[in-house]
Amino acid sequence: MTDATEEHEAMALAAEYALGLLTAAEEKAFEDAMAVDPELRASYAQWAEDFAAITDRIAPVAPPKDLLGRIEAMLFPGPAKTEKKSLLSRFTLLPAALTGLVAAAAVLLVVNLDFQEPTTVPFAPEYTAQLTADDQSLVVLAAYDADSKVLRLDRSAGAAQVGRSLELWLVVGDNAPVSLGILADAAATEITLSDNLAADIPGGVLAISDEPLGGSPTGSPTGSVLAAGPITQL
Amino acid sequence: MTTTADIEAMIAQMAIGDRTAFSSLYSATSAKLFGIGLRILNNRAEAEDALQEVYVKVWRKAASYQVNGLSPMTWLITITRNHCIDRLRARKSATGDMNEAVDIADAAPGPEALAIAASEGVRIADCMGQLEPDRADAVRRAYLEGETYDELATRYGVPLNTIRTWLRRSLIKLRECLSS
Repeated sequence: MTDATEEHEAMALAAEYALGLLTAAEEKAFEDAMAVDPELRASYAQWAEDFAAITDRIAPVAPPKDLLGRIEAMLFPGPAKTEKKSLLSRFTLLPAALTGLVAAAAVLLVVNLDFQEPTTVPFAPEYTAQLTADDQSLVVLAAYDADSKVLRLDRSAGAAQVGRSLELWLVVGDNAPVSLGILADAAATEITLSDNLAADIPGGVLAISDEPLGGSPTGSPTGSVLAAGPITQL
Repeated sequence: MTTTADIEAMIAQMAIGDRTAFSSLYSATSAKLFGIGLRILNNRAEAEDALQEVYVKVWRKAASYQVNGLSPMTWLITITRNHCIDRLRARKSATGDMNEAVDIADAAPGPEALAIAASEGVRIADCMGQLEPDRADAVRRAYLEGETYDELATRYGVPLNTIRTWLRRSLIKLRECLSS
């Protein structure tokens, strides 16, 4: 292979990387190569600049006015906020089962969430999950900060039907779903997970099911799963 | 008017935890990034969620911005584009209905067809214009629709190896034009 061909090869690879056309393995190999090769890094940066210019023709659109507030509430929970107190009413955690002792125990582990000292560390989620119904009738964004074990939920669409409840579940592998509680009507809420549940967050799936008022009577989802999404690392 | 230097300064301030800088950056850049999210995802609720996630990422990654060698807007656009493409691909694989997703994307003419090109975009547009139309189209689809080699091969009815070869050739041609 001549130098020029190699150069072309590297340049095309950098472009493929910038476009996301490589397989996971190729991507990893490229990143490793880029880490020790300034020329490759420069080649990627050049492509990123040029491809980004494709968006010059995309017209800006103002996002909804409350979006910044939602993001800030997520990132900076604010120790002095009075809404801290109301979180319990926003996210009522009810023992999911009288008979499902395991699930009930799991819920009890998280039930003390609102009695903690307000957190002073900034909320810096490492994990996120997007729970979206097929028809977009329910859209919930979850973000999880492993340091504080705080799971934040932000619902941008959907609500429980009259006389029904939306219940949040954590599913790990083939294990039975563990209830994380009932979603109240407010759009934003947060829960602090127990150590056991926190350990299950990476690689888990969050799901929301339609349940009788107050939650599943059995400790397992009884109604249809309305939305679910894998927890992914940011 | 917010300059590149202003945005760079905001990111640097964010890296040391300056929340005011974060809200300034948001004010200066969110409409641009939201436009991109809408264009890629073609769904308002999803684009809003994506934007939220993008700014969470931007806040967290601010400290590593200096080392990546991208201009600040390119950095923000790339994070947005990649995040939206990840979402789009997840949506496609979740619904298992690639065709539907592709059709939605096809149906939207995209505001870029209407808006006036800004100065930097002219160069890439010119150079893309020098490629054969279907190849320029493939590059655009890869960038804005997140189409994979598999999808492109299906779309153009050619084998996977062929699509990769001709796209790579087109990219080399594109670079030659962009560098000239």
